[in-house]
Amino acid sequence: MNRLSQTLAQGLERVTGAALGPYQSAVIRIGFAGTWLLFLLREFPHRQELYGPAGPWSWNLAHQLIADNHAFTVLMWSDSRLWFEVCYLLALLASAALLVGWRTRTAAVLFMVGVLSLQNRSVFMGDGGDNVLHLMSLYLVFTRCGQVWSLDARRAGRAEAARARGERVPGDRVGPVLWALSGAVLVTAAVTGRFGGGWLVPALLWAVWAGLGLWWAAGRWTRSQQPWMLLDVLANVLHNAGLVVIMAEACLIYATAGWYKIQGSRWQDGTAVYYPLHLDYFSPWPALADLMSASGVLMMIVTYGTVMVQVAFPFTLFNRRVKNVLLVLMMAEHAVIAVVLGLPFFSLAMITADAVFLPTAFLLFLGGWASRARGRLIRRGGTRRVPPPRAPEESTAGHVGFRA
Amino acid sequence: MPERKRDGAGMDAYDEEPEALGGPAGPAGARRAGGPGTSGEDTGLEGPGPTGTGTEDTGGADAPDPAPRAGLAALSPRYRLVAGGALAVVAAVAAVHLGMVFLSLAPANTVSKRHAKAVEGWVYPEFEQNWKLFAPNPLQQNVAVQVRAQIRGEGGDLRTTGWTDLSAEDGAAIDGNLLPSHTQQNELRRAWDFLGTTHGTDNRPVGVRGALSEQYVRRIVVLRLRRDEDLDRAGTIERVQVRSRTVNVPPPAWSREKVSTSPAYRVLPWWTVTGDETEAGAR
Repeated sequence: MNRLSQTLAQGLERVTGAALGPYQSAVIRIGFAGTWLLFLLREFPHRQELYGPAGPWSWNLAHQLIADNHAFTVLMWSDSRLWFEVCYLLALLASAALLVGWRTRTAAVLFMVGVLSLQNRSVFMGDGGDNVLHLMSLYLVFTRCGQVWSLDARRAGRAEAARARGERVPGDRVGPVLWALSGAVLVTAAVTGRFGGGWLVPALLWAVWAGLGLWWAAGRWTRSQQPWMLLDVLANVLHNAGLVVIMAEACLIYATAGWYKIQGSRWQDGTAVYYPLHLDYFSPWPALADLMSASGVLMMIVTYGTVMVQVAFPFTLFNRRVKNVLLVLMMAEHAVIAVVLGLPFFSLAMITADAVFLPTAFLLFLGGWASRARGRLIRRGGTRRVPPPRAPEESTAGHVGFRA
Repeated sequence: MPERKRDGAGMDAYDEEPEALGGPAGPAGARRAGGPGTSGEDTGLEGPGPTGTGTEDTGGADAPDPAPRAGLAALSPRYRLVAGGALAVVAAVAAVHLGMVFLSLAPANTVSKRHAKAVEGWVYPEFEQNWKLFAPNPLQQNVAVQVRAQIRGEGGDLRTTGWTDLSAEDGAAIDGNLLPSHTQQNELRRAWDFLGTTHGTDNRPVGVRGALSEQYVRRIVVLRLRRDEDLDRAGTIERVQVRSRTVNVPPPAWSREKVSTSPAYRVLPWWTVTGDETEAGAR
């Protein structure tokens, strides 16, 4: 009994005392933001046709559908071309900001607004990849995904170092300006009645905005640390819950994909993989597809293997070694799908979702490798050597929840 | 009828059940926005924190071995109560959310049928999802959308063009392409799916969405036809007719299966083109 309560207390301290999985949350932040950024850049020439007011899914058509389904999109606020261009540009910038971790929480919110606005505007343009990004953009808002590998972390580190040297750290200017600006936008939108329809996204926007304001105020409150510590605990709790939801969502994706496949006759007779390879819309490299499907035995193995891996994955989380083997298999399969079925953005989004399960040690290795590569690149460029990013603290790895 | 709002963003899944929604208990009112997204250094508002603690990311790296009192333990009783309550609420909302999403994904079952309304209310519109990726069976037919038009020339003469295979154009654009655009891979394909699911076998539209899908397909084909400069110069498009040509994918060489590879057509009636459709893509 005593041991039980002790375990419980330790568990409580873990989920309230730290935002777990800092590297995992950073890698999915970079992955999802990067996928969407690349997608927006790739579709830049087609942006009008996909999401513009005069595209085939015109503003009027979207208006009629959204009046019925109440999805959130700022693109319905005006049917002017200029408004659309501004939104597309802001969506691009928001994903870039989230990618590099600049004002991460605010960037995550803007990223979500960008993803939802464009996708909800033209729902019939998307595929599974868009669907993954749609959900993850919502979940990312709840996480503290800028703890490492971000400009925010670098800034915090520098401020800390300066304070340790006894220097005065100038107060932050950008944050309050961003906050005031977003507040003005929120108020304007509310007063002019733009937040029609669903309440979920507007409520989330207001909540984050209020939370950021409180966080700032609590940081200045000198009479007691307690309010600030409370907010810190709340942020940790939300982060940890968000991360659990993200991981569970990834499991649901694989479980659904796998369990429904079991029911299909083609997945049973071992020919299923042959067919997508021969659909005109999913075969950019017909010769390669023919080569791959030349062997019936190989097709059968891939078909059965796909089902097994997808169904098994959620259960392998209880064994880190098996889980890691499956992660490698799934990432490899998605890399192949990216090219062979012509689904690069879907695959990138899925690989990112897989990455939330990567072991911390591997992510640290990856981070070290990336920063060394960057260091070499910069030195070769002739600029002065930048100090290596702060060594990843060992204790950080210690409080990573699902250290694999 | 509980309509799907997004019509399965999936790429495939052709023998999908018409409706596999359901919902568990849990009053829709229990849903919360999850509380304020407060956060550390990443807030966009740098709160130096009374202790000068801008660096939670170091997670007490240089603290002495017994774990520093963090989280709940560091709070005074009153604040601990607030934090504990928040923890309970967040955990409950996350659990309910996952339960709702699970029920929306699972095949219609005892629980989800009974609580279909609650599940729908929770999941739509922002958490809708469809992961029947190439399942239960992958699509085994190539569906091509083709169009022809009646064009009124300068002199008032009416001419009917031959059939243009728009899907073949998409296919050609995708061939050898490492980064196919959604305009090539999804636009026409999913518009045709949308039309198929909102029309009866007699090609009559069902509900509001049926009308929307017709307008959508019409706008796509007019936009695509007008990209052909010769055709665009020849006059104004007065009417268009759309049909689909469905061909089975031939079974693999190593299988003994036989399927017919003769095409099946679905021909829609002629549609009159209005000014609204000709503006599509005309910037």
